[in-house]
Amino acid sequence: MYRVILSCGWALIAALTAVASESTVVAEKPPAQRARNAIDRWNQMSPEERERELAKLPPERAQQIRERIRRYNQLPPWEKQALRERYQKFAQLPPEKQEIVRRSVRAFRDLPVDRRGLVREEIGRLRALPEGQRNARLSSAEFRSQFSPPERQLIRDITAYFPGQLK
Amino acid sequence: MNCPMEHRKPETLVAYAAGELDGETAASIERHLRVCPGCRLWVAEQAALWKTLDIWEAPAVSADFDRRLYRRVAGEVRLSWWERLTRTLRPMPLRQILPLAATACLLLIASFLVQQPDQLAPPHPGAGLVRADQVERTLDDLELLRQFGAGNQVEAPHADTM
Amino acid sequence: MGVAAAALDYDAELMLRVKDGDGVSFGLLLEKHRVPVIHFLYRLVQESAVAEELAQEVFLRVYRSRSSYEPTAKFTTWLFRIATHLGLNWLRDGKHERGLERLDYNSTDVPIHQISDRRASVEQQLVSDAKLAEVRLAIAALPEKQRAAVLMHKYEEMEYSQIARVLGCSESAVKSLLFRAYETLRARLAHMGR
Repeated sequence: MYRVILSCGWALIAALTAVASESTVVAEKPPAQRARNAIDRWNQMSPEERERELAKLPPERAQQIRERIRRYNQLPPWEKQALRERYQKFAQLPPEKQEIVRRSVRAFRDLPVDRRGLVREEIGRLRALPEGQRNARLSSAEFRSQFSPPERQLIRDITAYFPGQLK
Repeated sequence: MNCPMEHRKPETLVAYAAGELDGETAASIERHLRVCPGCRLWVAEQAALWKTLDIWEAPAVSADFDRRLYRRVAGEVRLSWWERLTRTLRPMPLRQILPLAATACLLLIASFLVQQPDQLAPPHPGAGLVRADQVERTLDDLELLRQFGAGNQVEAPHADTM
Repeated sequence: MGVAAAALDYDAELMLRVKDGDGVSFGLLLEKHRVPVIHFLYRLVQESAVAEELAQEVFLRVYRSRSSYEPTAKFTTWLFRIATHLGLNWLRDGKHERGLERLDYNSTDVPIHQISDRRASVEQQLVSDAKLAEVRLAIAALPEKQRAAVLMHKYEEMEYSQIARVLGCSESAVKSLLFRAYETLRARLAHMGR
């Protein structure tokens, strides 16, 4: 009886070790991504459900949405993952801070081309600094002299609230 | 500007031919090229060389590259598991191994079961419905986050949008 | 890296997650870097099967080193350092002799002006193959550091500073390597540009 129990125990250990290492292999492969944003959930809807929703909008707008989703889905996986994570952090911001980020990025896009590079570099520098040094820089005369008031505001806002890293 | 060839800085021409110089430096090289036939010829030959080198395309990667790699990765994982298991159990008498083996079994079963929820349940009709305008807003936000977060250049809104 | 010079690059972030046991992040790194690494190794060793085997070893080493990984340099610098090391070792082992034998091709065997219209596509293919063989031979004939530098600069479009870190030399040394390599290649392949 003792031998039977021992044999079964070892057989079970061997089998479970093999299964667990296989499931480790499975885990090593990129699994399906858990739906995190509206587009992921949209992609999980059936085609009929998607078309039913799109039919509620004017045809031209519906077609634009189809096209934009297609372009998003065609992004390389690593870029999509980076975007998902950035969006997840963005979505965790309070609504008013989300609005600040939106407004700031739009303001950045409206800057003249020659100013964008400088503003972007400044934001990158500031985000790499510890908080004390960052605040010192933001209140320095040099900072004030290099950037206009609207630029200073958008630099502060993006430095504070833009999710993820800038590349 | 001083002639890069005469001043022992020919790599500047390499960088110029490869389009790696900033606007101002490239412009000064271009001004120099107008008056220096030697450098002009060098740049033309370099451009021709790059075009020649372009004909060498690499073949497509095998379809099973990833599968083979993951098999090797799995081999590493299995080995380390087995090594750890036998190393810890080897010097012990049998009566001590059995309760430990039973505990190990229970832990393995538990870890296997815990992994299951990672697999997505198949969607069922009506669950997780998203409105088209919600998707549109998310696309707008993703586009903002992508355009600002990706690369040193921010594209105009209509270029490469989602 | 521009504005991200002081910040962690995303690949390094992913690798830190692999260090924490996240297999998905390893998959993402593989997805992103598989092709550039294989293509670089292919041009370095000039055998596609060998290039894939070496690339497998590169990613296996990345995976094995996950527990001790520290982002002291850009992830791609580390990746290409491993790839260059493995590729150059393979070449030094003398196995490259087999590869070079297959590349031996005399391009003057095909006088272009004698191509008739009837066999144009076959002759054109022969000419194209001959040109390709010349390019491959010319690159294979470069000293190994010059070869690696040219492949990283021309085909992988890496910056001097990164090539320098991969090869373990100064940026000015890389510029000098590249200049000499391109001079050699220009002399050897000049007739093809006409």
